[in-house]
Amino acid sequence: MNILVINCGSSSVKYQLIDMDGERQLAKGMVSRIGMSASVLTHKAAEKEEVKITREILDHIQAIEQVVAILLSPNHGVIHDVNEIGAVGHRVVHGGEHFTDSAVIDDSVMRELRNLIELAPLHNPHNIRGIVACQRTLPDARQVAVFDTAMHAKMPPYAYIYGIPYILYKRYQIRRYGFHGMSHYYVSQRAAAMMGKDRSELKIITCHLGNGASVAAIDSGTSIDTSMGFTPLEGLLMGTRCGDMDPAIILHIMSREELTLHEANTLMNKHSGVAGISGVSSDMREVIQASNEGNPTAKLALDTYCYRIKKYIGAYAAAMNGVDCVVFTGGVGENSVNVRRIVCDKMDYLGLKLDLDLNKTTRATETDVAASDATVRALVIPTNEELVIARDTKRLIDGD
Amino acid sequence: MPGTKLIIIGAGVMGQGLAEAIATSGNEVTLVDKTTKLAERGIKGISESMNREIEKWGLTESDKKAIMSRIYPTSDLNLSEDAEIIIEAIPDRMDVKKDLFEKVDSIARKDSVFITTTATLSISEIAAATERPRQVIGMHFLNPVTKIPVVEIVKGLKTNDDTFAKATEFAEMLSKEWITVNEYPGFVTTRVICPMLNEAMHVLMEGVASAEDIDHAMKLGFGFNVGPLTLADMMGLDVVMSWMENLLHELAEHKYNACPLLRKMVRAGRLGVKTGSGFFRYDEEGRQLGPATHPAEKEKTL
Repeated sequence: MNILVINCGSSSVKYQLIDMDGERQLAKGMVSRIGMSASVLTHKAAEKEEVKITREILDHIQAIEQVVAILLSPNHGVIHDVNEIGAVGHRVVHGGEHFTDSAVIDDSVMRELRNLIELAPLHNPHNIRGIVACQRTLPDARQVAVFDTAMHAKMPPYAYIYGIPYILYKRYQIRRYGFHGMSHYYVSQRAAAMMGKDRSELKIITCHLGNGASVAAIDSGTSIDTSMGFTPLEGLLMGTRCGDMDPAIILHIMSREELTLHEANTLMNKHSGVAGISGVSSDMREVIQASNEGNPTAKLALDTYCYRIKKYIGAYAAAMNGVDCVVFTGGVGENSVNVRRIVCDKMDYLGLKLDLDLNKTTRATETDVAASDATVRALVIPTNEELVIARDTKRLIDGD
Repeated sequence: MPGTKLIIIGAGVMGQGLAEAIATSGNEVTLVDKTTKLAERGIKGISESMNREIEKWGLTESDKKAIMSRIYPTSDLNLSEDAEIIIEAIPDRMDVKKDLFEKVDSIARKDSVFITTTATLSISEIAAATERPRQVIGMHFLNPVTKIPVVEIVKGLKTNDDTFAKATEFAEMLSKEWITVNEYPGFVTTRVICPMLNEAMHVLMEGVASAEDIDHAMKLGFGFNVGPLTLADMMGLDVVMSWMENLLHELAEHKYNACPLLRKMVRAGRLGVKTGSGFFRYDEEGRQLGPATHPAEKEKTL
């Protein structure tokens, strides 16, 4: 059976078509810069040249239509009929307390997903748009939702509860959920394999650093704490999200700038973070370049970004009474030599120290970039959320 | 509801607000006005409204681009031929509404639903201009449409249940709460707010308090977001007066007599935010600059 994996981000759609017999990837690609004038569809069929198509793609529905069209195209396609797509696995960011496992999508699941939009306004609407677009384009394929929150479901209550009246947790399920579950799960598995150990013997800190970013503390295979909370807004500084801050600040801004709830929400989710501080971009590559060229707010954004990550590593080492390895993944974690270097600078008290030369040449390949005398491994591991989603989709379809 | 073919007739403030709300909900919409120039002016208005929202952190440039791409301006009324829902948003005058509905009735497919956005006029009377009175319904949105979360759904005498269901579905598509109104002059919101605005004008005219103090007291005292005189300026004083006259005409009660100060200001062309001056003065962006001297005060000082 072929499974199409769809991962709709805020401005991108990643997709993979995977033949589950042997977990062979037939094609993969990405539509990026959705909503901007020059959107790019990058498509690569197995054993063929990568193709890049630039055109205006204004929303996720258009993006999915383009993806299905190229999978079927005579030149670049890998299938001849839409029915060769047996099922679609969707990454869905927020599963709330309702979804503790993946789910086959039906009307009641869709209703529940819509109810959860409030919890992840930057993500769930795009995920839902991806599902609706696939239902339209591939009406015969089963659809499965795989949630970012499921991996963190076993966190102890003292890690997920907030310091507000307990009745509010009971009333609105306000608690830490955590996100990027598939990524933290996948890289922690790979980390154990690279170290030749079982996950049950290891204390792992995984740093998923993409446009959204989170850190997880994985003790004996269980995520015991993570930096994102009730929504993907908490924790690290991100591309356009503010991360941790004094909650009184937003009340103060709302009153001074006379903002509505919606405007305050968009301010924190879309106008803040690295883009908000630097005034340059939400893209770390552009911010680092501007910083190198002497732009002071770009440098401040980069330093703030790295400092937050460093603080979380320290906190989670304390929470687990030690750490065996720190994993860097996600677009920034896999590729940004500078971010890894700044984060790990002066961490030798903890046993974390990079081989700076090796770090400098490592991009998006499984590599241990720790210095030979370091007691804590520093692993660069390209994430593979799609494979986790495809496996879960198959498990649910088979079990149905 | 997604994929439903929608057309708005009238690219004024209400038509612009509705087009923006529909496009923001992820749906496509055609915006018609008498000339291409008027329709384009509507598009410009929507663009400016979204720029203000970006300034207030409520939106990003790429959101705006995607939303704008879903709105098609045109002067071709014949495009309503295959629309499933036709929304009228032209000035609130019975004669022009009847003319338009009669014309659109002859163009549009037989199963399409007509929505009028009138604030006070009789749905039944408008519907009588068509061959399909059961498929005509009122939806009174309040300005600014994208911000006000409620709509009055007004059933005419002959409006059927299917049409009502389509209207509620449309309201939900726009994420609006709705209330059900059985047609009666002024519905709920217009009928309750107009006498209050009128009374505030009387208080000002009689020299009881300044415009600023009246608004200040009503805002803080009763939790309104804007005071009554500012609200009248925002609605347009000519519009407020026409609503009052309509209520007076329909209900024949003394309390709906428009305040003489209101009449005087409308005659003088001081219509509120849109002319830069009403009870208060405004800049081109519609920001309040301070109180305007009103005709009654001028007479006193003379």
